Amino acid sequence: MEFIQQVINGLAQGGIYSLIAIGWTTVYGVVGVMNWTHGEVYMLGAFCGFFLFTRLHLPFLAGLLISMVAGSLIAMAIDQFGYKPLRKIGMPRMAGFITALGLSTLLRYSSTALFTPDPQAYPANLLSYKLLTLFHINGKAITVSSLHLMIFLGTLVIMAALELFIRKTLTGKAMLAASQDMSTLELMGANPEKLIKITFAISGALGAAAGVFVGTIYAINTMMGSLAGLKGWSVAILGGVGNMTGSMLGGLLLGIAESLTAGFVSTGYKDAIGFIIMILVLLVKPTGLKGYSAEEKV
Amino acid sequence: MKKLLARLPHGKGEWFFGSSGRATFFGSAAALLLVCFVDALSPSATIIPPYYKHILFSCLLYSILSLSLNLVTGFVGQLSLGHAAFFGIGAYVTGALTKFYGINFWLTIPAAAVLAALVAVPLAAAAQRVKGAFLVVITYGFGEVLRYVAINTDFLGGSAGMPGIKPPTIFGFAFNRVGPSGKELYILLAFALVSLLSFFTWRIEKSRVGYALSAIREDEIAAVAMGVNTKYYKTLAIVLSAFLCGVAGSLQAGYASFVSPEMLSSTQSILILTMVIVGGPRSIKGSILGAALLTILPEFFHSVKDWLGLGFDPWMILYGLILIILMRFRPQGFWGKTTVF
Repeated sequence: MEFIQQVINGLAQGGIYSLIAIGWTTVYGVVGVMNWTHGEVYMLGAFCGFFLFTRLHLPFLAGLLISMVAGSLIAMAIDQFGYKPLRKIGMPRMAGFITALGLSTLLRYSSTALFTPDPQAYPANLLSYKLLTLFHINGKAITVSSLHLMIFLGTLVIMAALELFIRKTLTGKAMLAASQDMSTLELMGANPEKLIKITFAISGALGAAAGVFVGTIYAINTMMGSLAGLKGWSVAILGGVGNMTGSMLGGLLLGIAESLTAGFVSTGYKDAIGFIIMILVLLVKPTGLKGYSAEEKV
Repeated sequence: MKKLLARLPHGKGEWFFGSSGRATFFGSAAALLLVCFVDALSPSATIIPPYYKHILFSCLLYSILSLSLNLVTGFVGQLSLGHAAFFGIGAYVTGALTKFYGINFWLTIPAAAVLAALVAVPLAAAAQRVKGAFLVVITYGFGEVLRYVAINTDFLGGSAGMPGIKPPTIFGFAFNRVGPSGKELYILLAFALVSLLSFFTWRIEKSRVGYALSAIREDEIAAVAMGVNTKYYKTLAIVLSAFLCGVAGSLQAGYASFVSPEMLSSTQSILILTMVIVGGPRSIKGSILGAALLTILPEFFHSVKDWLGLGFDPWMILYGLILIILMRFRPQGFWGKTTVF
């Protein structure tokens, strides 16, 4: 009973992790840079939603969409000013990573300066909260909050749209090809810079959507990006880097694992379980659940 | 900008101001002794406030950490975001042993270092299988997991940390009772460790081990082909570096007489890594410079913040900018070797 309840509780959180992880994994697949700023895009998306909902009193869906657009723009700006200059000089091996670290610090603390470090909450009447009873087992009700259900469905819709975009459009197919072999794709006549911008835009939109979804359940603050971003990365590794379906599965698995850890082991280790899973996955099967086979032999 | 940066010294001499290692050592030792005991000459006034001595000690402590991370990041070229974990392990071992078992501080140092080294072995095993971005997250996750263990272990004081660790003693005198501010012996001890470590790094670079590590950094496949036992040398670098971080942790526990889980946090790890990167990987003076810069500048901007009455800390924003600009115009760091690592 308790077990099934915890699994259901974990699904909504898992959907959010999936969204963040897809943002990580697409950028890593196409650009090959570990975009450490992704957690910050997620945080900025949540704050964008916060201002739209509290100042402009927009309905939820409009706020979500505008935040996603804002997230895309932020991610594209990060690429334009952060990574593009490095790509021009040939991206020394780890300079990209340190730049990402610097960008992330810059964004996180400038937003702390702008928005104050205090936690903020979305307006309470934004979405109606109800506890829905799904079904009964042995006379005990298994419930789900309407917010969790909405988030879970929302992430499913976004992921389905993304999957369609990747499978059906030429740009999407080019992105898929780029994550396997960028240089061959260039030889086929694709414009890598344009593709990279589109990738960042998608990644930013997903990150911002995850931020807005989180804001509907929890209070947001400017430090929220660091842990969530890293959890997204561990999900990406769990699912296999560069693979979107893997990230979706991995996110749901992590959400469930966290919920079960909080319910049955200790709430103190809830945040640690993701890292433990990630380390074990990297040690046992470095390609993750659905990753491509490793090329490096040394 | 580029031209200006290109005119910086390219790290030809390994020691400061082009002098020999011996001259650098004696010069800085004399300067430190003067700074430490100049107050004893005039008992009425404090010439150097204890706060400056605290910063000096922090610089030296972080120099130990950055020099030991330099063995991994500089020589082998592996980024690690988990080195604060070893620092924290050292501090917790010293704290727990002196506080709960009454063991002499000096005896806890080897215990702390050995335990940190032992914990590093599984991390080294992981470093064999993954590299690049994956290694970064595996070390990051490793450090975070250990931090959660520290937070959730009541025996170690939980999230509140472990206060009341006895200061080390020498010939029956407690360290914090000697000298005008009680920090002098700590500074000298840290300086001794930094000197030893600098000498060690300097010697290791031109040894068989140093050449093996460089070979792995430049081209791992070629190194294997040349018969370098890459597994052994990578493990050696990480374990050695963890060992040294453990020593630094012991020292910090004795100095602050307080250990908190924040010592293991990723913020610390990132700070240590950026010290190595900013100063210049593979450079001894670079590591020391990086540690000093990133210790002094935050303190300076903290006072700027208080002075201007700002509601936020300007340093962290500047810190991000410094990293971006440095990587754009001088990816090998301030005093790094010209080889891009």
